[in-house]
Amino acid sequence: MKISTLFAVLLILISAALPLVIPEAYLYLIGLTYLFAIIVISWDLMVGYTGQVNLGHTTFVGLGAYIAALLQTPLRIGIAVHPAVAIIVGGLAAALVGFVIGVITLRLRGYYFSLVTAILPLVFMQTVFIWRDVFGGEEGFSIAGYALFDTTLSKYYFALILLLVSLAAMLKIVRSRIGLRFMAVRDSEELAESIGIDTTRYKVLAFILSSFFAGIAGAAIVNYRYTVGPELYDIPLMLLVILSAVLGGLGTIYGPLIGSIVIYLAKNWWLRDLISMASLPINDEIVLYAILIAVGILMPRGFFHELQDRLKH
Amino acid sequence: MIDVLLKIIVFGAVVGGIWGLVASGFSLIFGVSRILNFAHGAAFVCSAYVAFMLISSGVNVYASILAGLAVSGLLGILVYSLTRPVRKNEVMVIIVTLALALLIQQILLVNFGDRGISIIPLVKGVVELNNLKVTNMRVTSFILAVVSLVSLDLVISKTSIGKRILATSQDSEAAMLIGIDVERIFILVMVLSSILAGFAGILYAQIFAISPETSLRALIYAFAIVILGGLGSLRGSIVSSFIVGYILVVTITFLGARWSEFVMLLAIVTILVVKPTGLFGVEE
Repeated sequence: MKISTLFAVLLILISAALPLVIPEAYLYLIGLTYLFAIIVISWDLMVGYTGQVNLGHTTFVGLGAYIAALLQTPLRIGIAVHPAVAIIVGGLAAALVGFVIGVITLRLRGYYFSLVTAILPLVFMQTVFIWRDVFGGEEGFSIAGYALFDTTLSKYYFALILLLVSLAAMLKIVRSRIGLRFMAVRDSEELAESIGIDTTRYKVLAFILSSFFAGIAGAAIVNYRYTVGPELYDIPLMLLVILSAVLGGLGTIYGPLIGSIVIYLAKNWWLRDLISMASLPINDEIVLYAILIAVGILMPRGFFHELQDRLKH
Repeated sequence: MIDVLLKIIVFGAVVGGIWGLVASGFSLIFGVSRILNFAHGAAFVCSAYVAFMLISSGVNVYASILAGLAVSGLLGILVYSLTRPVRKNEVMVIIVTLALALLIQQILLVNFGDRGISIIPLVKGVVELNNLKVTNMRVTSFILAVVSLVSLDLVISKTSIGKRILATSQDSEAAMLIGIDVERIFILVMVLSSILAGFAGILYAQIFAISPETSLRALIYAFAIVILGGLGSLRGSIVSSFIVGYILVVTITFLGARWSEFVMLLAIVTILVVKPTGLFGVEE
């Protein structure tokens, strides 16, 4: 425990000191990676801890993003609240939608939750095209001039602090009695019910919390890169989240954290260049999906669990 | 008014028949092996693309279609072998099949673009019904779809292989105990269902245009149909595919195609609130 605390402190210090050594363009990317990590960890909170496969997590990312963006820029619906308020409202709105969807689908056993959440992002993406003058269609819109911060350095620290706060909050949740109940639901629903756990209630609670953090992350991403667009709802982002979490190891929080940083940096830093150099008829997404299939079959428990096993023996 | 109504009745039947082919296979796979096959839409799209590719390079039309169906069947075997090691792990089954579906979609996008393809209809000409022109291809598709669905139902309920499939879907361990080779049943159902989806894709491409993204749409409609019909119930999904077909055509006629996903979600949510087991489903 002592060593891991030391290690964590060291990592935080290194991330805080990164701006001293890393050029601004890369710093921007690393900050964005932190926000992506929040999305992945919050997905793990639902899927890894309660065992309910949420295939529509980007719905909540996109919702948080669009709601915050609409509230921040007076140019869209004539409202301009403080960005910090907009971000929190974005998270709350995502949590509310999560609550409604959760109450309907999670009281049913089995696969209904996965089927319904798989459709959600596509439906919400259509809203962007149907109400084009509000949401801005496929190009989205910009909130430049109304965002929370305006230098890369301040945005980097904002992303880092948001990640650390969210990470601490989610770790606190999974290590509490509530977290134990989540895991009881995952490991055996019948057994959990027989010892008096209201399984539906805890599944819905996990889903609300997970949606809230996804909404906050979405709203923060908009404040980070100043634009909002339908790709925040889209399936490639969803699969990137799943890949990061599965690679890292479901139900560990730390594993998905590491997975998200590795995968996001790899995808945006060098993977595309590498593939275009190879001049094969494939793109970076094909490679990532193939990796996901391979990891899912060969190492379904993920990197973090494997590492733990190795260290024990 | 009569014209619009007639149009809806005719087109809804055609669309319902085609989606019925996709959904009945999806439901059958789930019923027998408890696998939610997210790659089922890929079988729908792949057969059409393979047939299209072969036809445009000058191969005989019927041979091309057979090749397309064969590729769908192979895709079924691929899904079977990929999910076999993780079958006990529901989370991974969903993730692996979804990743496979998107992998195939991206491969098609990279090689063929997103513009969509169609196959020249095998049956030419139109019939006129009270001023409404219906292409013979649509009529043929409807008939072929209904014939396939009815024969599938007959095979499942009347033949001995069908009884073995039913036994496996009711209790695969008990089926194993009385000497049924459950793995062979799984493969059979997977291949048969994928070929049905592939057949639907071939019919669809002769009426509308198919693009890599159609695979996701096919999957969504299949979800709506099986939830309405009750997960795992073959007859339920056959009946509800026509209900969903009519909902779709009404939505597209009066609201526009953009709203179809919306209405599908609304329909699913309504069913889950009112009658979660679906119209024909049984409590597990």
